[in-house]
Amino acid sequence: MSDEVHKGGMVLAAKLKKSRRGKWSVLDILVFLVPLLVFLVILYSTLAWTVYVSFTDWKTVAANYQFSGLKWYKFLVAQPRFWVDIQNNFKWLILGVVPTVTIAIFLAYLLELSPFPAVESYIRTLILYPVAMSFIVTGTIWSWLYEPNRGVFNSILTGMGIDSPFRFATNPSTATYWLILIFIWQYLGFSVIIIQSSFRTAELQEMIEAATVDGASKVRILFSIIIPNIRSGLMILVSLLLISALKVFDIVYIVTFGGPGISTDVLALNMWITSFQQHLISAGAGLGVIIFAMAFIIIVPYTIYALKNWFE
Amino acid sequence: MKSKNKSLKIIVFLVLIILSCVYLLPIYVMVTTSLKSIDEILAGSYLAIARNPQFSNYAEVLFGSNRFRSEMLPRLVNSTIISFSVTLLSAFFGGLSGYYLSRSRTIFTRVLFVLVGIALYLPYQAVIIPLVIIMAKTKLALSYWGLIMSYLILNIPLASVLMGTFFLGIPIELEEAAEVDGASRVQTFFRIIMPISLPAYASVAIIIFTQVWNEFFLALSLASPKTQTVQVVMAEAKGTTLVLYNLQMAAALIAIAIPLFFFLFLGRYFIRGILAGALKG
Repeated sequence: MSDEVHKGGMVLAAKLKKSRRGKWSVLDILVFLVPLLVFLVILYSTLAWTVYVSFTDWKTVAANYQFSGLKWYKFLVAQPRFWVDIQNNFKWLILGVVPTVTIAIFLAYLLELSPFPAVESYIRTLILYPVAMSFIVTGTIWSWLYEPNRGVFNSILTGMGIDSPFRFATNPSTATYWLILIFIWQYLGFSVIIIQSSFRTAELQEMIEAATVDGASKVRILFSIIIPNIRSGLMILVSLLLISALKVFDIVYIVTFGGPGISTDVLALNMWITSFQQHLISAGAGLGVIIFAMAFIIIVPYTIYALKNWFE
Repeated sequence: MKSKNKSLKIIVFLVLIILSCVYLLPIYVMVTTSLKSIDEILAGSYLAIARNPQFSNYAEVLFGSNRFRSEMLPRLVNSTIISFSVTLLSAFFGGLSGYYLSRSRTIFTRVLFVLVGIALYLPYQAVIIPLVIIMAKTKLALSYWGLIMSYLILNIPLASVLMGTFFLGIPIELEEAAEVDGASRVQTFFRIIMPISLPAYASVAIIIFTQVWNEFFLALSLASPKTQTVQVVMAEAKGTTLVLYNLQMAAALIAIAIPLFFFLFLGRYFIRGILAGALKG
């Protein structure tokens, strides 16, 4: 009896040795790989096409593929608007990410410590619902909250007897910051979810337990145990937020359309206006390439990290 | 980690109140305002409940009127057709290629993975000009296919990585057993992997659907009048009906109804999808 089981095991093992693990027939390749390849080829072709257009002399609705070198890149950097965009994009990258991550770490830790489980699930749902909303809708609502004369915020302040000093998105020197606030509002719940999930590893929980037994304070545990041990989770979150902040288009489009003047303009909006309103196609393509280059710097370390995880 | 510290309770309580104000205020204002008449709004007191709920605002937004020409109903149909098509197709193809990415370990697959990873977060600005050219040349821009194809190009890499993440978690022994029984890889996938991965498909579908439904840049650049999406018409309504806040808010509520429904009733799948996208891809 046991002999037969043994034999059966041997046969199974022999069969598995000839297993196709790693081997893919032509049919398998056709079914599993070709669809993805087709779409990737189209995607990267359009990317290459954009790069090519940025070196041509296409400046009206009619196509013109005459090579013109760096002409339109020079045109772009000679415009003050480009440098306003760069400054604003950096404001977005820093102020859209640093406060969001900081508040998210604090909140996630607080939720872990919270003595009331009902509070935790309530807060999670409460701050996460914006992920289901588009920036267009969020922007429409916040435009009205922000409206300086009849808007909700200033009306509330007036109702409390305070003469509101805030002009929100209509004051050119501070408008971008009010836009970034909307972004933080929208992404906070998402960030908390990601931080919370990186808290929940067995090793980290054990370390926290040990530190608690040793009498370490909660604040101490946060800074010397939790934060150093959720580095990979933090890196992922920071990369995702950086990418979203870099690509920001919808909020600016809907709330200020770059105004007042060009004070809240960003690269993505400039790209859209240049390409589809001014029809300076080569210049627009150039802006697309610049945005891609900036995104690339953020994406590559992140992708390498993901690659290691995936094929470990 | 749970504790019964008193000062902690106070902090939790304070945070609870602050967050409730910050996150409930916008949605509360949206709902009450959408039910008010414009006179009631201009009288101030935004936080008051609508005295005389104007449900006709919703009808006006859906079907249009003299003062609100951006009727939402046809755009809801457009967004629904486009989002559902993209969701179904990307989940299907993404499942196939996600399976390949999760089971093949060659150098080629690694290179492919990097290319997919970059595609995942590619700014649309870097591909929009050729897409507009292609869709105009092929006349696809005039039909739903222009937007559907464009979204597919950008969402299939995402769906592949998301599905692959879930497939990585399926023990390989399951497939080996099927293989011993003589099943081919395609059969194994469709008869074993796919059926047990239905929850994963649900998560991925919800994420893709929400993303496509809420997408604005491509929709704005590629939509013809007949294929305009909800987001584009929302932006248009905001530009042309500056003071009709009640109608704007009604339109906003209609625009978020479907994704919000998914979030509230299928929240678990939603969160799982977000985490899969964030932690592996």
